[in-house]
Amino acid sequence: MLDPISLIIFIAVGGVLIGAGVHFIPVGGAPAAMATATGVGTGTAMLAAGAGMTGLVTAASMTGQPMILVVLAGAIGAMLMMGFTMLIANYIYVYGCGVVPASAKVDNDPITGRNQEIYCTPGTEGHGIPTVCFVSGIIGSLMGGAGGGLIYYVVNNAATNASFITTPIEAAALAAIIAISVYFINSVIASYNIGGTIEGFHDPKFKKIGRGFAACLIASILCAILCVLILGGI
Amino acid sequence: MAEENAVNSNALLAVGIIGGLLGIYLVGINSLIGPLLACLGGICAIVWGANAIRTVAGYGLGTGVPSIGYMCLAIGIIGGLSGLALTLVPALSGFVMLGPVFALIIAMVLGFIVAVVVKKIVGMKIPVLLRCTTEIAGAAALSVIAFSVALAGAYDINSISAAVLIPGYIVLFFILNTMAIQEPFNACLGPNEDQKRTLTLAVANGFLAICVVGLLLIPSGFVSLLVIIVGVIGWICSYRKFLKMSNEAAASVKWSGLWPKTEDQ
Repeated sequence: MLDPISLIIFIAVGGVLIGAGVHFIPVGGAPAAMATATGVGTGTAMLAAGAGMTGLVTAASMTGQPMILVVLAGAIGAMLMMGFTMLIANYIYVYGCGVVPASAKVDNDPITGRNQEIYCTPGTEGHGIPTVCFVSGIIGSLMGGAGGGLIYYVVNNAATNASFITTPIEAAALAAIIAISVYFINSVIASYNIGGTIEGFHDPKFKKIGRGFAACLIASILCAILCVLILGGI
Repeated sequence: MAEENAVNSNALLAVGIIGGLLGIYLVGINSLIGPLLACLGGICAIVWGANAIRTVAGYGLGTGVPSIGYMCLAIGIIGGLSGLALTLVPALSGFVMLGPVFALIIAMVLGFIVAVVVKKIVGMKIPVLLRCTTEIAGAAALSVIAFSVALAGAYDINSISAAVLIPGYIVLFFILNTMAIQEPFNACLGPNEDQKRTLTLAVANGFLAICVVGLLLIPSGFVSLLVIIVGVIGWICSYRKFLKMSNEAAASVKWSGLWPKTEDQ
């Protein structure tokens, strides 16, 4: 059984992983929905909901297994969801809108080395999801999913001896809602930090990750303290 | 924002807190009317939250209106659950009555601290961020607890845990209340956004939300029908009013076809 201090530490680590992961995900927002900016054409909250909840479902399917399996399952679920989202979005951009995936933030793709500038439509911030953004998104969802899975695991583990919890399913339900809540709080704080849109780890905005890290750490510790309170650990 | 507000924010705050708490506390008066009153209390909280969203998102968050809604609902649920769970602490075990108030206070405090973190560390430059995040978190906690109480029939953590947490309805309320609170401003925003129109849509969303609560109440029998009927009637009335206000504010309304080919300047 987990003591309250390690519960707080694990939730804080999970929260920071989520917050840091969001900085890697190519969030394009409304401009990307019109194919005038690189990334997936929706806000962080939606991407976090999609990847986070899928990660939670896969993590929850591993309930009762060792921590590493639950965390990995969460990461893989989130990565799959993010990968499919970016892949299908790319199909729509390429075959629906008729734009080529190109980044406006770098001259050459850091991974493939291909030139981006000549493919970027003048007046836009790039379009589609080029290779570097795709890889970055997969890394981000790995971190986010692992963070969510970690929170789910520790809360589920600690909830089994909480004062008002009587059944394992109740512990799982409580762990799920706490993991989703911490996921949303951290992902939105991170998205405020990046100002709504980011391309990935090659984006100049990525340098702001330190501030996002600090903000998510404080918010997660606060949530963790309240989780201890919910679990009746005081 | 320079424009005058038709409805005072403080008045809405009072309506949200008093209406929400009143609905929650009156749940026990009657097994038929109680859940309905709790649902109506939830609507009061939703309207309060929608007004706070309108105030803060009017400055442009850069991340879309829904983001702050999701964040505050998450804060509201963590704060709300911990407030209700606080009554399990032995020193406070006699104060089950105060659970919803603890929930409101903890959610608002957590919302305030997160807003301070966002403002000081991340550097968001929105002057009303602190007040509004606190308000939305409070409204979120109250609306989720009000709907949960309507299902559970009581406001102690054990009943709510059995009625809302175990079946997973709390996740439904998370998304449902986020939609009800953030959608009105997201739908109405723009240069001629009008507070009364946005709040009318919030009321319509609230009634639509209690229809869902009514569906979840089906195992409880007749009370489900009552909540659904009130929800549908309320939704029809408020949504009709919203449509009328939208039509009045529009330059012209054409229900089908292309724009008229007018040549006038």
